[in-house]
Amino acid sequence: MNLDWLDAFLIYGFFTIVVVSGLGLLLHLQLGLARIANFGVVGFFGIGMYSFGVLYVKVDWPFGDPWQFLVCIAAGTLAAGLSGVVVGWLVGDLNEDGVLVGTLGFATAVFILATTEKELTGGAQGMGGLQFPYDVGGVKANELLWLVITAAVVGGIVFYVWRVHRSPYGRLLVAVGSNEPLARSLGKPTFRTKLWLFAVTSAGMGLLGAMYGVMERFLRPTNLGVDITLAAMVALVLGGSARVWGAVVGVVLTVGFFDIIVQNYLPVPVEWYSQALPVMREALFGAALILVLMFRPFGILGDMRRDKLMRSLHGD
Amino acid sequence: MTDPTATLTRPVIVVQNAVKSFSGRVVVDIAELTLGDVPIEGLIGPNGAGKTTLMRMVMHSTGLDRGTITLWPHGAVAGGGVVLSNLPSHRMAGHGVVKSNQVIMDFDKLTIWDSLLLAAAASKSERPHRIFDEPRVFAEASDEVARYLDEFGIREPSTYAKSAGEKKLLDILRCLLLKPKFLLLDEPTAGLPEELTAKVIDEVRTVASQGTAVVIVEHNLDVIWNLCDEVHFMAEGKVIMKGTPAEIRAHRTVVEKYLGEGHV
Ligand SMILES: Nc1ncnc2c1ncn2[C@@H]1O[C@H](COP(=O)(O)OP(=O)(O)OP(=O)(O)O)[C@@H](O)[C@H]1O
Ligand SMILES: [Mg+2]
Repeated sequence: MNLDWLDAFLIYGFFTIVVVSGLGLLLHLQLGLARIANFGVVGFFGIGMYSFGVLYVKVDWPFGDPWQFLVCIAAGTLAAGLSGVVVGWLVGDLNEDGVLVGTLGFATAVFILATTEKELTGGAQGMGGLQFPYDVGGVKANELLWLVITAAVVGGIVFYVWRVHRSPYGRLLVAVGSNEPLARSLGKPTFRTKLWLFAVTSAGMGLLGAMYGVMERFLRPTNLGVDITLAAMVALVLGGSARVWGAVVGVVLTVGFFDIIVQNYLPVPVEWYSQALPVMREALFGAALILVLMFRPFGILGDMRRDKLMRSLHGD
Repeated sequence: MTDPTATLTRPVIVVQNAVKSFSGRVVVDIAELTLGDVPIEGLIGPNGAGKTTLMRMVMHSTGLDRGTITLWPHGAVAGGGVVLSNLPSHRMAGHGVVKSNQVIMDFDKLTIWDSLLLAAAASKSERPHRIFDEPRVFAEASDEVARYLDEFGIREPSTYAKSAGEKKLLDILRCLLLKPKFLLLDEPTAGLPEELTAKVIDEVRTVASQGTAVVIVEHNLDVIWNLCDEVHFMAEGKVIMKGTPAEIRAHRTVVEKYLGEGHV
């Protein structure tokens, strides 16, 4: 396949859009429905990425790819899900400030572990040895296929989130977010509900982390900067944190605009790429967030519309 | 009035040595109290007597300083007691113990349909992987929900509850949809228009006649005198008097001392 027309940067741009959209969608279940503000997204992402990477590179598996790859990626997902249960258990009964500090602290702990556990992770130097579980001819083709696979996974997440809105489970999450004591008085085990929510969404974040690691092929603690959490959070709030498509719309407008339009099509001086652009990116995202919160506090898509949803599901 | 001699075995809740204080001030202090002896019991008393606090203690949404509250699902003589004061509050509904709220409690993001289906849904339909269960939950609950919507004249259930009265009503309907065995109602008719009050009272009579034990707190004493088989009079955290409506009304001086003139 001749892929000369395709810029490698473009693949990366789209890949970032897809991954951050996936994170934003999972965050939407926590923030938009259950109203839990998780500032540790990148921690779960990192647990998935490093569990996968360490298992894949350091363990002598009796079987090769694709099984080795699949087993390791499943293990990374599981590890992230379990860390979600632990973090959920720790923050489940705390107020918003407690959740913020707890999740942010967790993400910091993951970052520090990735840096200090040199034996396992290679520390700040990073760890190589990851590869795609296939070879379809050429780096670019492999990366393109990985983009497609990741997009399919995120498509699955969109479908799940869309279904959750239309299911009794989604209603329970909204109830827990709106009035937890009342939900409890109706017999709903709200704490357990939050634990399961954390387990499932964290597992998803871990899976995306592992997939991100595969694309990078080289794991460094700098992959786990707070900018990933912020990108997902900003995009979600910008697009509409209570809406299914909020995260996707937000990511396209922020990451899409910046990582694709600005970085690929605007005549930016080359020396800006390493220093100036990342800073501009954060500043622009922050400014966009402030503007939206001032003029459209529920985001571009607006607030949840369960009245419309109920009408479409059950008539008037 | 419902027939107190009905042979249904009703659940009984026994409160023993239950004490609750807020910042050092004792608000409820009950040595021994049995609720559920008769189908419909009233709990009356002046503002601040501790009626709401007592009900919240039963639901364990307020913790007890000490004492125990036990549910006997098949009456006091039968075995199988459940110590409610050891259970987390979300387990009460599973044991059939349900309370409506004096102050308005609502889910601001849920429509009326949502709110009622939430109450009716079984927890196994609410797990993270059950993403296709809405039709089942709807099919199981919709007849009953539709009957309530019709009876109480709620015409746009796909919208959000707007007025305080509507939210209050919704709170009671959610309780009924939980199929309570022991129903605690904290001022259910406060804030409801008159024709709805009558309908709520009808529903209360119906569930009581079907074997549910009902305890009702009310400031509208006409409701109490008409509805209840027995009345507890509470003041300063203690039940100071107990009897049939007629007996309580006979203690004119006590009632008027606490509730003011013209109530008896
Ligand atoms: N969470 C709380 N913190 C502090 N004090 C409280 C709390 N809840 C209740 N109280 C106090 O306890 C006392 C009893 O309140 P409670 O609500 O049980 O009375 P009540 O009999 O239901 O009164 P009313 O008829 O006005 O509803 C009141 O003095 C009230 O101020
Ligand atoms: Mg009260």
